[in-house]
Amino acid sequence: MGQLALLATLFAPFLGSVVLLFIPNREPFLVRVVAAASAGVALLASLYVFLAYDPGQGGFQFITKWAWSEELGIGFHIGVDGIGAPLVFASAILLFAGIFISWHIKDRTKEFYIFLLILAAATIGVFMSLDLFFLYFFYEMSVLPMYVLLGVWGSHTKGYLSMTDEEGRKLRDSVGFILNFGSNSKEYAAMKLTLFLSAGAVFALMGILLIYHFSPVHTFDILVLREVAHFDGTLATIIWVLVFFGFASIAPIWPLHSWSPVGHAAAPAATSMLHAGVLMKLGHFSIIRVAYEILPDATRELMPIAAVLCVFSIIYGGFVAYFAKDTKYVIGYSSSSHMGYVFLGMAALDYISLTGAVIYMFAHALATGMLFAMAGWVYDQTHTRDIPSLGGLVKNMPFLAGAFIIACMASVGMPGTVNFIAEIMIIVGSWEKYPFQVVVAVLGIVLTMAYLFKMMRGLFYGNMSPEYAHTRDTSNWVDRFPLLLMIGCSIFFGIFPMHFYNVVRSTVVPMLDRINQVAPMVTQNTTGLLP
Amino acid sequence: MTFDLTLSGSDLLLLAPEIFLTIWLCVVLAVDFTYKQIDHENLAYLSVGGVIATLINLIWFDYTGVQGALFKDMFVLDGVAIFFKILVLISTAMVLLASIDYVKSFKFFKGEYYFLVMMSALGMMFMASAQDLLSVFVTLEFSTFGFYVLVAYLREDQKSSEAGLKFFILGVFAAGLLAYGISLVYGETGTLVFSEMASAPGSIGLAIGFIMIFAALGFKIGAVPFHSWIPDTYQGAPTPVTAFLSIAPKGAALAILIRMFYVALATFKPTWVLLFVVASIVSMTYGNIVAIAQKNIKRLLAYSGIAQIGNVMIGLAAGTKRGSDAILFYLLTYLFANLGAFAVVIGVSNLIKSDEIEDYSGLNRRSPFLAAAMLLFLLSLAGVPPLAGFIGKLYIFVAAIEQELYTLLIVGLINIVISMYYYLVVVKKMYINEPHDPTPLSVSTPLKTVIFVGIAGTLLLGIYPKPFIDWAVAATLMFSNLSAPTAADPAVLTSLMGG
Repeated sequence: MGQLALLATLFAPFLGSVVLLFIPNREPFLVRVVAAASAGVALLASLYVFLAYDPGQGGFQFITKWAWSEELGIGFHIGVDGIGAPLVFASAILLFAGIFISWHIKDRTKEFYIFLLILAAATIGVFMSLDLFFLYFFYEMSVLPMYVLLGVWGSHTKGYLSMTDEEGRKLRDSVGFILNFGSNSKEYAAMKLTLFLSAGAVFALMGILLIYHFSPVHTFDILVLREVAHFDGTLATIIWVLVFFGFASIAPIWPLHSWSPVGHAAAPAATSMLHAGVLMKLGHFSIIRVAYEILPDATRELMPIAAVLCVFSIIYGGFVAYFAKDTKYVIGYSSSSHMGYVFLGMAALDYISLTGAVIYMFAHALATGMLFAMAGWVYDQTHTRDIPSLGGLVKNMPFLAGAFIIACMASVGMPGTVNFIAEIMIIVGSWEKYPFQVVVAVLGIVLTMAYLFKMMRGLFYGNMSPEYAHTRDTSNWVDRFPLLLMIGCSIFFGIFPMHFYNVVRSTVVPMLDRINQVAPMVTQNTTGLLP
Repeated sequence: MTFDLTLSGSDLLLLAPEIFLTIWLCVVLAVDFTYKQIDHENLAYLSVGGVIATLINLIWFDYTGVQGALFKDMFVLDGVAIFFKILVLISTAMVLLASIDYVKSFKFFKGEYYFLVMMSALGMMFMASAQDLLSVFVTLEFSTFGFYVLVAYLREDQKSSEAGLKFFILGVFAAGLLAYGISLVYGETGTLVFSEMASAPGSIGLAIGFIMIFAALGFKIGAVPFHSWIPDTYQGAPTPVTAFLSIAPKGAALAILIRMFYVALATFKPTWVLLFVVASIVSMTYGNIVAIAQKNIKRLLAYSGIAQIGNVMIGLAAGTKRGSDAILFYLLTYLFANLGAFAVVIGVSNLIKSDEIEDYSGLNRRSPFLAAAMLLFLLSLAGVPPLAGFIGKLYIFVAAIEQELYTLLIVGLINIVISMYYYLVVVKKMYINEPHDPTPLSVSTPLKTVIFVGIAGTLLLGIYPKPFIDWAVAATLMFSNLSAPTAADPAVLTSLMGG
């Protein structure tokens, strides 16, 4: 049953996109219903997987393994552990919410949903791959739909759009314009994102091929490799660096982050949600899956690199977000700042902080999903993302303003939301090893409050410009439901985190014992251990 | 040297596909001459029928394991030969179908067109079986002969004539090189058969001879620095001919290259590995970088083809059985993606009479089918999962890393990213830009069939490649005893440095 549910989570969106191919474009309602149905199947199945995961047993569960090519040592091998299960669930939530968020897309609806479903299915595939080949397969597969989604249904930045006179047009088509920070076309953003991520991916592929070549058994199977492959010395360092920076480019760690805010800003709302919500977590997840599992010794020795870089991510992202004038840039930079927390939690190699990091990925997916969804609604209504020109929207959008406050609170990490649990665990767990980084992280939370509340004030309070008098709130269930779904999940797991915590911890503890070379504990009573 | 030309019935069986195709192309020509009024479309279907019958014959050979050699090893039918013959025939069938609409625009010689395509295919089938330098020369010229005519087929189009002339002059030059190289090799070794050369001692004459032969074959496959004819010829030739030129002769020439280097020169592997490493790096990098600047889709595909051949040569540089398997599989993926892409180009140029990339603007709005197909083919060429090209590239890279060719691997991987840029530029035009002229485009049935075959191949080889990988592995069984030292072996390195 669990196996079937896992397969359904992966294949329902793929099947949905195949079915969509045969539905004519002139029936947009049918297109949306089919997309929503396939995403709904994936959501229910992933919920089942998440709930049915047995933390007492731990390890990889719901495993399916089919031979794919014996010649190359590749098997279609999927299953989830306590890290994969919540992330699969988060992807399915965001996909389902994203389908409703983009309900009003009129231009080429069918193509939009096809690419969105492929994107989400590929991310889900990464989170359940137990084979390096398929990990890379789905990873790279998730990058390409982004190009089309950003390019076709995305939007230009204000700086770019305002250059409408003859000279401006000439300037913005010139080669040097790509360096013009903050005023980019969507085509540029899409191309930058795709090339950046593909470049990161091929680095990681080089690392994967080295693992394949130097392991005693020529296989891509992670579960086999983690037992038989032992790398040390320079080789381990080289592989680790390739794998870490290859995958960290999507995470995105400073200084490899520059594609990310540009990409967020250009993307349509649902794509931003999936992009910031789950696509960025592919980086952390793949590092955990490949480096932590197969290269435990190198991870122990080299993970301080991440601890150093995450400081820059947190501070730099936070400050840029504070001064940014574009709603999506604020949220985009806040995402890349918050991803620094995950790296901090991962770097400490402590079970509390790593559990916190995994929960943070889930929590951030929901919080940033809400923010992007609402920024998207505001953009659809006002056709601008420029904060200074907006204001007072609370009069027309009371529901949205309320939801926005909750989303900001979640993003900051207010008690009652799952973000709080995650943040406090990262901070507590890393304190012993990286006190300086923890201080920075706490300051980062203050910074988060500052820029999010600044944006909230700028959007919803103050005086409303008369040209936005016609804007309206989310009024029907199609528009409100996705927001309520994400808010509900965030608060539910904030109040009842125990199953979630146990699931993650059951995987994190043995993994860290391997890395820290502690003898594995015999049995674990995992209830009642919340710090 | 004496030739024994007595043929028994079982010998004739080995030649059955070629004999059948020879008869069939004569039938096509006869029908064209006899029934002047016949619609040339029917001639195309007649030709495709013959090609498919030959294909079935070869698949049956492969299935039942019919193998053998004729004429003192000049003609050999083994796994590799059957594989490349099938490759050539699939591409021939697809090209013939894709030509139907294009040929309508010809003013003269519509029937002869199909005859010439099939004649070239016949030549390439013999190339795949060439196991001896003399048959290499004869079959190579035989197949190229048809192409000289086909490239210049648009008599009133200046570009086509220019393309034909360029192709002809450089082709003849390559033939000269080939003949001279063969004479040198024969002078040094006293034999023309590959397997008998394997024991020959190395000498300067032999090296120069083989480099000349390599140059002539490099001209066929379009490896840098023998690529200069490719862009102009591809642009000027009738598009179906370009499509044919972009895969079939490359495959046939690679069959000869694999045989020559794996069999005749097995003992000199460390030396020629270096040759292929350099040729591969230069081809990939040059092809990809120059492709970025192209404004014409046929030129873009021409340069991308140069880069793809660079990828294929990674497999030759590996010089192992795994390397040859990877080449075979890669060519299959390339066949479907590349011919599919050209089929879309043919479809678009039939309708809007243009091959400029700018005119692909908004193709997604004008014909969602053509745009989606082109998207799949280009992404497969770029090597994006879950499409065939990704598996092909991965296979090649696995072959390379087993020989620890790290430089080659890094260059190959970086080139994936470079190539992604120009493929995506086309995607951008099709999907993001608005059309200059929004009238919808429709595709004819034969062309649609070709595109569907391309899509099916691209997806099948990407999602379930196992049977095809197994086929490639089985086809190259004869190379399984190839255990020359790897490039990382210190003894080999010293010998390379002149020791």
